[in-house]
Amino acid sequence: MSAPLLQLDQVTLRFGGLTAVDAVDLAIPEGELMGLIGPNGAGKTTVFNLITGVYAPSSGAVSFAGRPLAGLRSHEIVAAGVARTFQNIRLFGSLSVLDTVRVACNRHRAASPLQSLIRLRAFRESEAAVTRRAEELLELFNLLRFRDAEARSLPYGEQRRLEIVRALATRPRLLLLDEPAAGLNPAEKLELVALIQRVHREFSVTILLVEHSMRVVMGVCQRIAVLDHGKKIAEGSPEAIRQDPAVIEAYLGPDHATGLFHH
Amino acid sequence: MIKKNETAVPKPLLGLLLALGAAAGLSAFSDRIDPYHLDVLIGVGINIILAVSLNLIGGHTGQFSLGHAGFMAVGAYAAAAVTLFLGPRLIPDAAPGGFQENALFLGALLSAGLAAALAGLLVGIPSLRLRGDYLALVTLGFGEIIRVLLQNFEPLGGALGLNGIPPYTTVFWVVASAALAIYVVGCLVRSTYGLGFKAVRDDEIAASAVGLDPARYKVVAFVIGAFFAGIAGGLFGHFKMTITPSGFDFTRSIEIVVMVILGGLGNTFGVILAAILLTLLPEVLRPVAEYRLVLYAVLLVALMLLRPRGLFNFRLGRRVSSS
Amino acid sequence: MTELLQQLVNGLSLGAVYALIALGYTMIYGVLRFINFAHADVFMVGGFIGLYLAPHVPGGGTVLGGMLVLFGAMIGCALLGMGIERLAYRPLRGAPTLNVLITAIGVSLFLQAGGQLVFGAAPRSFPAVFPTGAITLGPLEFSTNQLLVIGVAGALVVALQLLVYRTRMGSALRAVSQNPKAARLMGINNDVVIRWTFALGSALAGAGGVLYAVNYPSVDPLMGVMPGLKAFVAAIVGGIGSIPGAALGGLLLGLIETVVAGSPYSTYKDAIAFALLIVFLLFRPAGILGRARVEKV
Repeated sequence: MSAPLLQLDQVTLRFGGLTAVDAVDLAIPEGELMGLIGPNGAGKTTVFNLITGVYAPSSGAVSFAGRPLAGLRSHEIVAAGVARTFQNIRLFGSLSVLDTVRVACNRHRAASPLQSLIRLRAFRESEAAVTRRAEELLELFNLLRFRDAEARSLPYGEQRRLEIVRALATRPRLLLLDEPAAGLNPAEKLELVALIQRVHREFSVTILLVEHSMRVVMGVCQRIAVLDHGKKIAEGSPEAIRQDPAVIEAYLGPDHATGLFHH
Repeated sequence: MIKKNETAVPKPLLGLLLALGAAAGLSAFSDRIDPYHLDVLIGVGINIILAVSLNLIGGHTGQFSLGHAGFMAVGAYAAAAVTLFLGPRLIPDAAPGGFQENALFLGALLSAGLAAALAGLLVGIPSLRLRGDYLALVTLGFGEIIRVLLQNFEPLGGALGLNGIPPYTTVFWVVASAALAIYVVGCLVRSTYGLGFKAVRDDEIAASAVGLDPARYKVVAFVIGAFFAGIAGGLFGHFKMTITPSGFDFTRSIEIVVMVILGGLGNTFGVILAAILLTLLPEVLRPVAEYRLVLYAVLLVALMLLRPRGLFNFRLGRRVSSS
Repeated sequence: MTELLQQLVNGLSLGAVYALIALGYTMIYGVLRFINFAHADVFMVGGFIGLYLAPHVPGGGTVLGGMLVLFGAMIGCALLGMGIERLAYRPLRGAPTLNVLITAIGVSLFLQAGGQLVFGAAPRSFPAVFPTGAITLGPLEFSTNQLLVIGVAGALVVALQLLVYRTRMGSALRAVSQNPKAARLMGINNDVVIRWTFALGSALAGAGGVLYAVNYPSVDPLMGVMPGLKAFVAAIVGGIGSIPGAALGGLLLGLIETVVAGSPYSTYKDAIAFALLIVFLLFRPAGILGRARVEKV
């Protein structure tokens, strides 16, 4: 097997005396759809923040496509091919739906900022191409009807979808989804499962999914890693995780043995 | 009115050329215009440049700056230095209003812009680490430091300032510069690249997450904004014919900030209207001159309480009711 | 050495006034998280209240008479501060920082321009409300006013510290400044606390105004601008939100400024304060005694 696309090697993050992430190893091969679960405060989002350069690890290393990410700033990590969504939706308050996607296409536009002043044909074509691509993406995710609306005024579920579209517009090789099902109702969750599978298939992107909802994780992930108190306590197929006593204990405490994942 | 999408302004370059043509036309007939009106027009134009350029920094990019008068001062002194000290050596016997003089002035204005842009770079760098009112204070501090340094720099006249600056500023130069400032800021913020300014203002972390470098955007905004403030300073100096460091103090910065707030942060059209309105206001209030400042202050507070998003804020795009 | 001691006293008396103003900035920033630009002008109004009160106070020129003038200015400024908060800032609760900041600048301009209309623009000389004299200590010479400023300011800082750490209102104030939402859930009326904070901070500025005027015996409507900006620098240098920090920052700034003023670089003294501000904001934004905050993702 070739080298994994994303590799975390003994990654540790300490805030003062608190160890938020404790010597976590993680390897995601290209093309996989992997889940990262764990109880509240287990350090899942912190792992995302470590991968995307929001925090620098206290020790250990993160590498992407064989290249160490140490010292790179968030936007440079995006340029390397890692995009993310946020647990608490972070859309741009003053941009329309279309512009939200256009701004994320920045890395792939052909024209330089100076050309916007001279406005030759090349500039206009490049701008038109960006707009076209943004519209295509919105169409794919059934958001084009909101094209000129303010991004923040969309219904909640649509905002989550728009965040995924925005991340895809940066043309990532690895997509990090941070609790995309949070706040969705059961019907919307089902739609989301289908959507994640579609993204995984049609954009041939590797996905790491942090999720609380077992229904979503068990439904889509090929492999699952479990965090508890910053440590990785289990890793394996959904079936294996479902049965893992350490996982059940972490979620429900030592007295519960079964029945966790059946509802 | 102004739409967000690039397609909404189909021929911006044509618009710029028309504005330049209008400037030349206006200039040709300027001796038939009442000199008082001409002065007011020049004042309006200079304020439009200042407001539009500050709007790029404070409005579109959200970097609240209280030091715009400092950039203006740098430009005013740089331009005056060029025409006063370099001019007599380069063109000792130029005809008034002739080609040589205008070429010298163009050079002076460009120097003004570049010098101010350099100052903008210096101020922009701390903006990378600070936000909100802390940044406002640092820019305020920079503005005041520039003023104190100029006051102590004798070759440029010290506290007394520079006198006898040639009156090169004409309606043409002012209208042309204002048109250029509006064009550059307008085209920039409407391009895909320029959407990044707003993205950085709205949420730096999300902006980084789509691959934008917030630091770079902020510095670019400061440099371009300062460039045009410097040109406005150069025009101002060659209009008033005398400049002093105290003419570019904190109060002057506040005036420009008020124009931007009144017009609505990030709303180029509104900011232009506000610049016109606030330049004309003192002229209108001349009969009650002693109450002018008090009224101005009351207006400012009332505006913040009643129309916090600016006088000319019209919601862009449509909202979707949440389900 | 003599020179140095002399400068030390001069610097401390200037710094004491900065400290009094800085306390108000720091307290108001603590509960509302914004720079109250108008604070400097409340300080100015304090000076003018002293000016107008002085002739009407029994026992003018005695310590008791001086104290009455001082208290009068403190009460007047406390009322002014509460009025400003009620009319200009309370309607903006929850609005973006920028709007509140602009409002504060508007209120500041209003007080300055209004002051010029009501009091006249020219500086007015300030009467000797406290007994004046000089104390000679070997080669050193202090004016009683300088010592008075240091003494009164010191007493007020101690009183404030007791108020904030030993009273119910004080603990409510600390609660609101740490977490306004949680404070409300604990049954604290935030509006009352904020009103009291403005009253206290403004009263201290009023005291500062009188003491400043006593030491530089004149007042004018723009006298607040520079001391106000410098006091704010002092608040940041000391650590915004920290009462001992504001006092420390004020004294430090007063000392540095006095030393620079006595040096060949005296014309740069206004720039020094701002340079200090920039250095602190860049390298230690939390100030000497403050704590840093981190944004959560």
